[in-house]
Amino acid sequence: MSSDSIPIRLENITQRFRVIQERPDTLRELFAKFFRHQSQYHDFDAVKNVSLEVPKGQVLGLIGRNGSGKSTLLKIVAGVYRPTTGKVEVRGSLAPLIELGAGFHHELTGRENILLNGLLMGYSKREMQDREQRIVDFAEIGDFIDAPVKQYSSGMYMRLAFSVATEIDPDILLIDEILAVGDAPFQQKCFDRLQSFRRAGKTIMFVSHGMAQVARYCDRAMLIDQGAIVADGRPDEVIPIYESSTAPLAVAR
Amino acid sequence: MIDLVRETYRYRELIWALALKELKIRYKRSVLGFLWALLNPALLMLVLTLVFSTVLRFPIPHYAIFLLSVLLPWTFFSQSLSYAVESVVGNGDLIKKIRVAKLVFPMAAIVSNLINLGLSLIPLAVLVLLMRHPFYWTWLYLPVPLLALTIFTMGMSFFFAVANVYYRDVSHILQIVLSAWFYVTPIIYSLDFIPAKYQWIFKLNPIIYVINGFRLSVYYGMLPKAPSIIASFACAFISLFIGFAIFRKYQDTFVFYV
Repeated sequence: MSSDSIPIRLENITQRFRVIQERPDTLRELFAKFFRHQSQYHDFDAVKNVSLEVPKGQVLGLIGRNGSGKSTLLKIVAGVYRPTTGKVEVRGSLAPLIELGAGFHHELTGRENILLNGLLMGYSKREMQDREQRIVDFAEIGDFIDAPVKQYSSGMYMRLAFSVATEIDPDILLIDEILAVGDAPFQQKCFDRLQSFRRAGKTIMFVSHGMAQVARYCDRAMLIDQGAIVADGRPDEVIPIYESSTAPLAVAR
Repeated sequence: MIDLVRETYRYRELIWALALKELKIRYKRSVLGFLWALLNPALLMLVLTLVFSTVLRFPIPHYAIFLLSVLLPWTFFSQSLSYAVESVVGNGDLIKKIRVAKLVFPMAAIVSNLINLGLSLIPLAVLVLLMRHPFYWTWLYLPVPLLALTIFTMGMSFFFAVANVYYRDVSHILQIVLSAWFYVTPIIYSLDFIPAKYQWIFKLNPIIYVINGFRLSVYYGMLPKAPSIIASFACAFISLFIGFAIFRKYQDTFVFYV
């Protein structure tokens, strides 16, 4: 395959966090630490030597237990973290959006938030104004668009967030816990939109704990455990591995 | 330094939107809303004028104008710093979730306070007319010290914003530094009040040159001398150079500390 068809390529990525016990948060503690000549920390690899390629048009679901490194991996692709070692190649425009509604401000109106969110994701004011009406229409929030988002129900909030994230039309969409959005008809709309994304050759990577969603939406699933990829393949192959590993011990043995 | 100009230009719309957001939130839920940006300095001026024309009488004519000509730029400086020091930490949630150029946060803090300063010059102009103080043509010179002050403020803001990411004590220390700094800067007094043999100490203060430009042009109707202008820009660029270099060096690790 030519490299053009691999929009996301990670090579030997390790993400190390320095976990400092009693990190000197204040100067007093710093002085105390300094004079005792000790600092207590250990290094923790949230992602260990991971390599992966995501071909164009693929919907990849990352699954795994809490703290396994799924979100860290997503943040590395998004450019939120610069990995400790390894190489990240991302080709194409990317909505660096890890959580729906990140960057929404409660006091601002829906309309103001659409603009601010778009600007945060690197789009211009002009581009956002062109898309504004479509975003409002898709989110189905009517007159609430000019009310501060703190007055929104959580469903409305997520609907607006989803429509901003997808209407800006990135080549690559990265989302953490995506599809708990709105009621059944709206979920169907989201699903349709993801399908059209895929048809348009866009690449999607998302983290989910909802196995039904992964089975339904993904072409490929990847099971992450302790910062490493332990299974990679079709969702119907990978999900059972995950489910058997998380089953209560009494049942599993 | 070219990076700074390029990124500021690239993210200008975002910086502007964040600055407006800041102002919108500051005046949110107040009946008079944005008018407060004008009313605040106007009321402050009223109080100062009353105090210094009745209670405390300084041997300086139109003392309120003498004071405000530098107090307003000082307020811009100290407010910008107070906002900027929290700007990176305060947007921690965003930094952890979206890849975003970090410099937009301190820049937005400065821009929002720059808007405030611009608005506060309107009541100052009104006060100048009301007190029958001459309205000098040297007001036209104000953009020059304003530019130097903004550059100086940017450097300091970058520095404090970074430092506060690693040690949260910095924002508390900053407040103490600012209040001490206020008194060693000729704002409520004039450098002439200081005995000549001690004046050199005051001249080590990097903000004194730019402050001088504001007072000369608004109160005295004069332009600063060339060495003073050069000194003000030299201090401004040294501040920016150091502040931005530190900011750039550390910005990729902010995400681990906010």
